[in-house]
Amino acid sequence: MARTSDTIESGAVVHGAARSQRPRSLRVRFGNLLSFRWAAAALILIGWFVYYPIVDNFIVSTTDQDIYTGEVTNVGLANYDRLLHDPVVLLALWNNCLYAIISVVFQVFGAFLLAAIIEDLRSERWRRLWRAVYFVPSAISITVTGLLFYFIYQPQIGLLDAVLSRAGLSQFVMPWLGNEHTAIYAIIAMSQWQGFGYSTLLFAIAIQKIPRDLYDAATIDGAGPLRRLWSITFPLTREMTGLMIIVTITGAFQVFNEVMVMTAGGPNNSSQVLGTWLYQKAFIEDNFGYGAAIAAVIFVLTMLTGAAQLWYTKRRRVQL
Amino acid sequence: MKRSLQVVTVTVAAVSSFGFSIGGSSAASVAVAADPSAKVEYTGTLSVLTKFGLQQLSPYFVNVAQQYEKLHPGVKVELIQESDDSVKGKTKTLVASNSLPDVYFSWTGSWGGNFVRGNRAVDLSAVIGPDTEWGKTLSPAAVKAFQYNGKFYGIPLYQDAKFVGYNKQIFGKLGLKAPASFEELLTSCDAIRKSGATPISFGNKEAWPAIHFAGQLLAYNVPQATLERDFDPTTAEYTDPGYVAALKQFSQLVERCTDGAGVNGTSYASALQAFTNGQSAMYYQEIIEFDQAATSDSALKPADFGFFRLPVPAGAKGDLKSIEGAPEGYMISAASKNIPLAIDFMKFVTSKENAQILSAPPYGQPSATIGGASEKNMSAAVVDGLKDINAASYLMPWLDTANPPRVAAVWLSSLQALAGGSMTPEQVMGEVRKAASAAR
Repeated sequence: MARTSDTIESGAVVHGAARSQRPRSLRVRFGNLLSFRWAAAALILIGWFVYYPIVDNFIVSTTDQDIYTGEVTNVGLANYDRLLHDPVVLLALWNNCLYAIISVVFQVFGAFLLAAIIEDLRSERWRRLWRAVYFVPSAISITVTGLLFYFIYQPQIGLLDAVLSRAGLSQFVMPWLGNEHTAIYAIIAMSQWQGFGYSTLLFAIAIQKIPRDLYDAATIDGAGPLRRLWSITFPLTREMTGLMIIVTITGAFQVFNEVMVMTAGGPNNSSQVLGTWLYQKAFIEDNFGYGAAIAAVIFVLTMLTGAAQLWYTKRRRVQL
Repeated sequence: MKRSLQVVTVTVAAVSSFGFSIGGSSAASVAVAADPSAKVEYTGTLSVLTKFGLQQLSPYFVNVAQQYEKLHPGVKVELIQESDDSVKGKTKTLVASNSLPDVYFSWTGSWGGNFVRGNRAVDLSAVIGPDTEWGKTLSPAAVKAFQYNGKFYGIPLYQDAKFVGYNKQIFGKLGLKAPASFEELLTSCDAIRKSGATPISFGNKEAWPAIHFAGQLLAYNVPQATLERDFDPTTAEYTDPGYVAALKQFSQLVERCTDGAGVNGTSYASALQAFTNGQSAMYYQEIIEFDQAATSDSALKPADFGFFRLPVPAGAKGDLKSIEGAPEGYMISAASKNIPLAIDFMKFVTSKENAQILSAPPYGQPSATIGGASEKNMSAAVVDGLKDINAASYLMPWLDTANPPRVAAVWLSSLQALAGGSMTPEQVMGEVRKAASAAR
C-alpha cells in the first residue's frame, strides 16, 4: 500500500529521493576518487613502463635516427611504406605465421590430446611420471636447448643426419640449419619439443577440474573414450584451449630467442622472423626508425589476434 | 566489467610483445679532446666494455683490473665482457641509450668512424699521437689505424690478421706443401678430400666467416684505391670486375675445399674444433686464434701447426701483398666523467708488462705495444705471423666493419647465399650495389 502511495506521489518521491541521494552520490564519487589514489602509483608505473613505450615506439617509427649523432629526421609514414616493399618482412611474417600454425597444431591440439590420454591413465603414479617426462624440456633454458639442437642438426657430427644415414634415408641428410629451405622448420621443431610439455601440463590441470561424475555418467550411457573426449573434455576445456591459442599465437609473433640462438635469421635471411628482423634493422644496421615500424606491426598483429581469439572463445564458452 | 577485463588482457598480451619497443636517443655531445696535463683523480668507478668475453680470454682484463684496483684502492673497475658477436649489438644499444661506458672496444674503419662522427669518442691526439710519450710506446701503424680526420681516437691493443692455419702432419702424409697459388690450394684440397679428411673446416653459421675469405680475395682482385672508394658510402660504386672474379674464386673454394652448402649449418667455433681435433687439414683463422688452435692438450700440437697467407689467384689485379686484418683497440667515451682516469687505466693496460702477458699463451694476442710482442714470450707461429703482418703492403679491413652497416648486412647475407649455392657472384654484387646506393 505504501508502495502505491509512493507511486501516486511519484513526482515528489522521485524529486525527494534525488535530493536525498545527491550528497551520497558525491560521497561515493569522492570515495572513488580516494580509492583511485591508492591505484595511482600502479597506474603511473604501468603508464610509464608499458604504455608510454608503445606511444614512443609509434613516434620513433615515423623518424629516421642516427644513433651516433643523435640526429632525428621526421619521415612520416615512409618507414611503413618501405616495410610494405621489403621482401624480408613478408618472408619474416610468413615464418611467424608458420610458427603460429605449427605451434597451434602441436602445442594446443597435440598437447590437449596428450593431456587427455595421460589423465585417462588409471594409475596416478604413471600420470605423474608422464607429466614430468613431458614437462622437463620446458625447464631447460632456450640457450641450452638451442645449443643442444645445433649439435643434433650439425651436418658433420649431428645426431639427426647420423640416424638418417643409418636408417638408409641418406637422401634426407642435409645441413638442417644451413639450408635456406629447412632452417625455419628446424627451429620450429625445436620450439615444439620445448613448449609441448608445458602446454600438456596446463591442459592436464584443466582436465583435472572436470567433475568425474560427468565421465561416469557418460560411460554408463555407453560413451566410449573418443566420445567422452569430444563431448565432455573438449567443450569443458574450451576456455583453456582458447587461452592456449592466444598465448601460442602471440608467442609465435614474439619469437626471437629461438631464432637468434639457432641461426640469427640466416642463412640469407631465410629464417628471419619479425622479431629478429627488427633486431637486425635496429641494432645491426642502425635503422631504429624502421625497427620501430616493425615493432608496431608486431604489436598490432598480436593485439588483433588476441582480440579475435577472446571474442571467439567468449561466444563458445561452456560453463558448468 | 568482463569486457573491460578482456580488453585489458588482450592489451597486455600485445603490449608484452613490445619487449621490442625502442627508445629514442638524444643528440650527442660536442667534440671532446684529451688534456695531457689533466690531473688523474684516483677515485670512482670506471666502466670498461671489452671484446674478451670468451672463456679463454676473459681472465686477461679481470686480472689487469684487479691489479689496477690494487694500485689505486679508490678506483673500482667495472668490466662488461662481451664476445666478438655480442659486442656489436651491445655497443649499439649502449650508444642508442647514451650509456657508453668510460672505455669501450672498437674496430677500425667505419665502425670506429661512427663514434668519431657522433662525437662519442675522445680525441686522444694530445696523449697518444706519434710524438707523445704514450704514442711512442705503441706501434705507429696500429695507432694510425684509428686516425680519423687527422686526429687519433683509438688505443690499439693488439694486431690481427687472417691466415690459413694447416696441419703439417696431414700435409706431410699426402706429400703436400703450403700452396704457392690459389690454384695450387684447390688442387691440394682435392688431394686431401680423396684421403678422407676435410680440406678446410669452414663454419659460416654466423655469416661473418665468409666475409673474411671474400675480403682477402677482394684485396687480391680489386685495386686498393677502388676498394677504399667503395667503402665510402658517398662514392661507392662496386662496379670493378674484380669483385665478381673474387666471388667466383670464393665459390670454387667453398665447393672444392669445404663441406659445400653445409658450411652455413656449422658454427665458426665448431669448425675450429674440427681443425684442433685433427679432422680437417686447414682452417682460415685470425692470428689471435693461433694459440687456441694448437695447444699441448689438443690433437693438433703446436709443432704440427703451420700457416700461410691465403694464396694469390692467377691474374689477380689488386694488391697481391695485402693481408686482411687490422689492429683492434679501445676508445674513451666523450661522455665519461673521468677521462684522465680512463686514459690512465688504458696506459696501464698497454704497459709493456701487461702487453707481454697479452701476447703470450694462453691469450696469444700480439700486442700493439712496442716490446710487448716479442719472440721470448710468444709462440713461434704468432711471432712469424706478426712478421708477415708487418711485411704486408696493405691491411685490408674487415668487410663488415669497413662498410656502412646497411651495406655490411647485405654482404653478410649474400655471401651466405653464395656459399649455400642460392646466389651467383653477379647476383651478390647486384645486391651490394643496391644496398650501397640506398646507403648513400
